[in-house]
Amino acid sequence: MRVLIQLRPSPDVVAAVADPTVTMTTADVSSPLPGVVLDPSFAPVAVPRPVPGAGGDPLSLHQPLTFSFAGDQATVLVRGEISDDELSTRLTLLPTRRREVVGVFADPVIEPILTCGGDAPVGDWRDVERLLHVAELASEGMDGSGVALAVLDTGINAAHVAEHLGRDVILDSGRSWNPGGVSGTAGRFKVDHGTMCAFDTLIAAPRATLIDIPVLLSERPGGSALDGLLSDAVAALAHLRTVLEDQPLESRSLVISNSWGSFSPRWDFPVGHTGNYSDSLAHPFNLIVSSLDQAGADVLFAAGNCGRDCKDGRCAYPERPIGGANSHPSVLSVGGVDTLGRRVGYSSQGPGRLTANKPDICSYTHFSGSKAFGDGEPDSGTSAACPVAAGLVAAIRTQWPSSRLSPAQLRTLLRRTADDRSDVGFDYDYGYGIADPLEMIDSLRRTARRVA
Amino acid sequence: MLLVTVRLPPGATLAQAMRHLGLSEKEVDTGYGLVLIDRVDPGQSLYGLRVSEAAARRIDPAAGEGPYSDPRIEPYGPPS
Repeated sequence: MRVLIQLRPSPDVVAAVADPTVTMTTADVSSPLPGVVLDPSFAPVAVPRPVPGAGGDPLSLHQPLTFSFAGDQATVLVRGEISDDELSTRLTLLPTRRREVVGVFADPVIEPILTCGGDAPVGDWRDVERLLHVAELASEGMDGSGVALAVLDTGINAAHVAEHLGRDVILDSGRSWNPGGVSGTAGRFKVDHGTMCAFDTLIAAPRATLIDIPVLLSERPGGSALDGLLSDAVAALAHLRTVLEDQPLESRSLVISNSWGSFSPRWDFPVGHTGNYSDSLAHPFNLIVSSLDQAGADVLFAAGNCGRDCKDGRCAYPERPIGGANSHPSVLSVGGVDTLGRRVGYSSQGPGRLTANKPDICSYTHFSGSKAFGDGEPDSGTSAACPVAAGLVAAIRTQWPSSRLSPAQLRTLLRRTADDRSDVGFDYDYGYGIADPLEMIDSLRRTARRVA
Repeated sequence: MLLVTVRLPPGATLAQAMRHLGLSEKEVDTGYGLVLIDRVDPGQSLYGLRVSEAAARRIDPAAGEGPYSDPRIEPYGPPS
């Protein structure tokens, strides 16, 4: 256990520690202490003595006090570590064996408070625009022009998106698609989650062409507890393959943003059953994801909101919450960071179920953006991080169609150029790091020169 | 309802799939139809369809594959 040890060395040593012009080390203030590994990297700190006023109680801190750094009154803190299995013995013996030891205190690990659901927005979408270097992307001709960007969600309200972005929105009604039983017109759905996602895709790719797929509005009737909607997502991807295959091979570009998942194992067959979804690449939905990747589509999935620090109340997987297509080897799984670059507490951590190394990367969330949920409400969840990353992918596709850079190559590029937040390469919190557009642009320039 | 898959020549119809699997209209979600999942090879494609639980468990493994789960899906946000 890491501890802080309060010492009372000689008054001249205390005075030297309290003097900001003098550099003192742990070795200067303390000889070795039995059972304690002192930390030489920690500069000793002077602790003033609280002094009560005249007639005050010398033992109470609940009264008017002054603080003295005088050498004969102040003390000094050093840092060290005591073996956990000797802790109680050492804590008892240290002050009795070494008279200069005044006290031993816990030195707990402190961490920044992570952003959680319900917290106020951290920055706004203009901050995200700046962090994504959208101006630099645009100067490289990477603004999403001509790139199809499908949002599989609750439907898009294009007028709301345009109003809050302050610019026109391009939406292709002809290539949009409704699941069976869903009425409504592409781009004219109620403002909700899908509108937030559409807004967030257009931060990095303002000229991308939205394709509206309101797959989460569908509720098919059925006769069992497993009846649900993943089958509609199967049909949606089948539709999107026709969209992709209608494009000329040399200029194919289709980015598919998915900010949804399955929260509970109760809705699935058990792991090990041949019909299971969460852990089986053989499930029809996971097969169609693979086939779309091979055909040239970029498929992105949110990692989910089941992070250990403040998970969504719906999360029912006791462990490894990134499952099914959200953990598919052929998709980019996107975790969330706030605009300060800190993982949001609800962003799901790996390992994933279909692929261990998930999430792949992180992107920005929990910022004031679309206002789809009200004026003070952030665009939040990995639901926002995924379309933000999808917009970045669409921006790159403006100049780099899948014939030049396959979806697998693009995923590798995103991982390789990401800003590593852990300093150890891949980790289960941030994946390979935060997507870094400038590094990507540099790498693509080098690739272009090599190919030329 | 559950998902099952069937391998048929490219361009197959729901009626062909039902005949191949020995299913009646009552047992199949005809509104969902027959969905192309993957082109296995030039002469064969993999299709998906939704069928009743009872029908799914009756299907001859030599004719079709499954059943596969069809879980609910929900948006990831805002976290609550």
